[in-house]
Amino acid sequence: MSAERKLPWIIKYRPKRIAEVVNQEDAKAKFVEWLKKWPNVSKRAVLLYGPPGCGKTSLVEAAAHEFGYELVEMNASDFRRKSDIERVAKRAASAHSLFGAKKKIVLLDEVDGIAGREDAGGLEAILQLIKTAGAPIVMTANDPWDTRLKPLRDVSEMIQFRRLSKHDVMKVLRRICENEGLVCEEQALEYIAERSEGDLRAAINDLQAIGEGFGKVTLDLARAMLRPRDREHDPFETLRNLFSARYAWQAKMALTQSQLDYEQAKLWLLENIANQYSDPEDLARAYDALSKADVYLGRIIKSNDWDLLAYAIDMMTAGVAMAAQNNPKDKYRWVKYSFPQKLLLLSKTKEVRAIRDDIARVIASHLHTSTAIVKSEVIPFLHVIFTTNPRYAAKLAIGLGLSEKMIELLAGPAKSEVLKYYREYKQQMESIARKEAEEVTQLKSQLQVYAEAGKEKEKRESKTKRKEKTATDLTAFFRKR
Amino acid sequence: MSSSEVFAELLWAEKYRPKSLKEIVNQEEIVRRLMKFVEEKNMPHLLFAGPPGTGKTTTALALAHDLYGEEWRKYVLELNASDERGIAVIRTKVKEFARSKIPGDVPFKIVLLDEADNMTADAQQALRRLMEMYVETTRFILIANYPSKIIEPIQSRCAVFRFTPLKKEDVIARLKWICDQEKVKCRDDALEVIYEISMGDMRKAINILQSAAALGEVTVSHVFKVVGLAHPKEVREIIQLALAGKFIEARDKLRNLMVTYGLSGNDILKQLHREIFSADLKIPEDVRVILADYIGEIQFRIVEGADDEIQLTALLARMALLGRKLG
Repeated sequence: MSAERKLPWIIKYRPKRIAEVVNQEDAKAKFVEWLKKWPNVSKRAVLLYGPPGCGKTSLVEAAAHEFGYELVEMNASDFRRKSDIERVAKRAASAHSLFGAKKKIVLLDEVDGIAGREDAGGLEAILQLIKTAGAPIVMTANDPWDTRLKPLRDVSEMIQFRRLSKHDVMKVLRRICENEGLVCEEQALEYIAERSEGDLRAAINDLQAIGEGFGKVTLDLARAMLRPRDREHDPFETLRNLFSARYAWQAKMALTQSQLDYEQAKLWLLENIANQYSDPEDLARAYDALSKADVYLGRIIKSNDWDLLAYAIDMMTAGVAMAAQNNPKDKYRWVKYSFPQKLLLLSKTKEVRAIRDDIARVIASHLHTSTAIVKSEVIPFLHVIFTTNPRYAAKLAIGLGLSEKMIELLAGPAKSEVLKYYREYKQQMESIARKEAEEVTQLKSQLQVYAEAGKEKEKRESKTKRKEKTATDLTAFFRKR
Repeated sequence: MSSSEVFAELLWAEKYRPKSLKEIVNQEEIVRRLMKFVEEKNMPHLLFAGPPGTGKTTTALALAHDLYGEEWRKYVLELNASDERGIAVIRTKVKEFARSKIPGDVPFKIVLLDEADNMTADAQQALRRLMEMYVETTRFILIANYPSKIIEPIQSRCAVFRFTPLKKEDVIARLKWICDQEKVKCRDDALEVIYEISMGDMRKAINILQSAAALGEVTVSHVFKVVGLAHPKEVREIIQLALAGKFIEARDKLRNLMVTYGLSGNDILKQLHREIFSADLKIPEDVRVILADYIGEIQFRIVEGADDEIQLTALLARMALLGRKLG
């Protein structure tokens, strides 16, 4: 019992028969027909493609089970060396397996994984395998449209799988609930199905996480439990969804479901449109759409009319997605997206820019002009002076009151020389200032001496005067007598 | 001799800026009228309009100097519209300034507002109210490159003075005089070249002169060297890369120019505009016209408040497309 409970439900409930594969009737019919005819088919391999969790692998497994094939499975991302392929090819070719003669199907999962890699050897090996193997080769992919996968597409029957609807997913979940004897709220299943975006595998995993942990599946539990899994799309997924959108609403949805807000998305698009699109006309169209979105955003700030945001978003999502007209396959190209370099540059150059702003402010106040004019018309010439004439530069730095950091920025490679003179001159100025200050103190103390002498003189004079007066008075007194 | 004179240098544009109206040799008509205001110790609001480097700010400062004497800074509030953050900040500063005391013999103080044509129409309306509110104690001197960008109600409240580009002989005489003061050797042909490059913009001419002098003496080759160093070749390279279809390289260069050199989108557009008509850029004549149209559109959008990097990147993408059509 406990061992059974530990089995992942996606394995426990994977379809044993083709009929149990949910709602891919066209794909099923095509695949079964091809498999039955093999090797009398025009294409020796099939490529099953569609969104994750829609039943590609399940169909292959169910068919193998139902028709009695042995499944030789290999994840395409493991294909690195030719020897890997040869090993698989050998197994597929050998008529006898351990349990006697059993027909085989070779399953290569996720072949789009190799498109992004540098090693073309893997692809070469698969093509070789398809040519030589004595068994049907079945491949799966989410996105088969990368140009590098073209050789594979050429030799494969292409079979498309549809994204499962919420309804499809719920049907399966309900069946599992019954089978497990779980009490499941209908809204909880709906919630799980909605979050899964048609990915049945993800939905079953979610159901198991709640059902096994709590013995029941309620909406409250689903909401509480699934929050972390219910993440928004990261920038890379967002870009992929946006560029690959075939309909305008899909492109718009890509932004709605993104963790990027429209300002960030703007920067990511600015950076990556050129990575995704290659045709100059498509490129110009896409950047034109982005620049129009940006014009709307500017108007919003100016007019405070937030109704305009809708148009900005239309242009940056649908406008960009629909721009690939000359080369529509570019939309599905696997691209390694890059982080907006502007943000990196801005943070890397933060200090330099702050110093430059300070220089501009200092000089703007000297020249009675704006910092913008200083930056475009004066600083370039200062660069020239500071890199070519360090002595003169040092004097200018002193006259303008620039700091050492500012000097370093302006002088670049010549900074140590300019700083040397700057410090030297400053020292000399200080020593002159000190000398002058000393002289001033000396002069002051001399003045003090004179002042004191003056006081003493005054004192004596007044004393003399007093005595004189006494003397004259006395003389006069005696004269009267 | 004081120590600061030996070891401290100034920018010549500051050092040799005329202090008094009497020292301003060109713009005679304007100076004559302004001297009358000084004499009467009264004046209306003023609007100084004209191209860069024709002496608008210099004249305004000299007027203040002549009105108030050496202490003039106490009675002048200097603002630059492109550096102040919005009309609210300007309003606060003007309000505070209007409260401070008035000089004894002149019945008003001066608010000097530079680059006033960079203000939006709404901000100018608010400015007009400020001018009326404090007219008892303050006079405004507005400075603008383009008088037409100043709203009508402000223009009608100001005495408008139009500054014209300086005459060649005036610029050269001034440059020569500065060289004499600085005891720097200069050649006449070099001064002519400076005039040609600066196109009557005195501030620019003096900046070039000082940088060339820093190389030793003012010769033609020094002038070209200085100008070449000061104006990065990147802008032309960006155009060439874009037209050659190397969009990503062009874009990276553009970004570097903006972020590390601190150039604004407008600076780059101006340089782009200069480059597309330069004989050094070998492109068909009609392409120059198409590019001018593109650049104009982008400039308009940036003025409207769009992001300069996005707009310039879109411009490069269009140039790349144009380049392909050229073959």
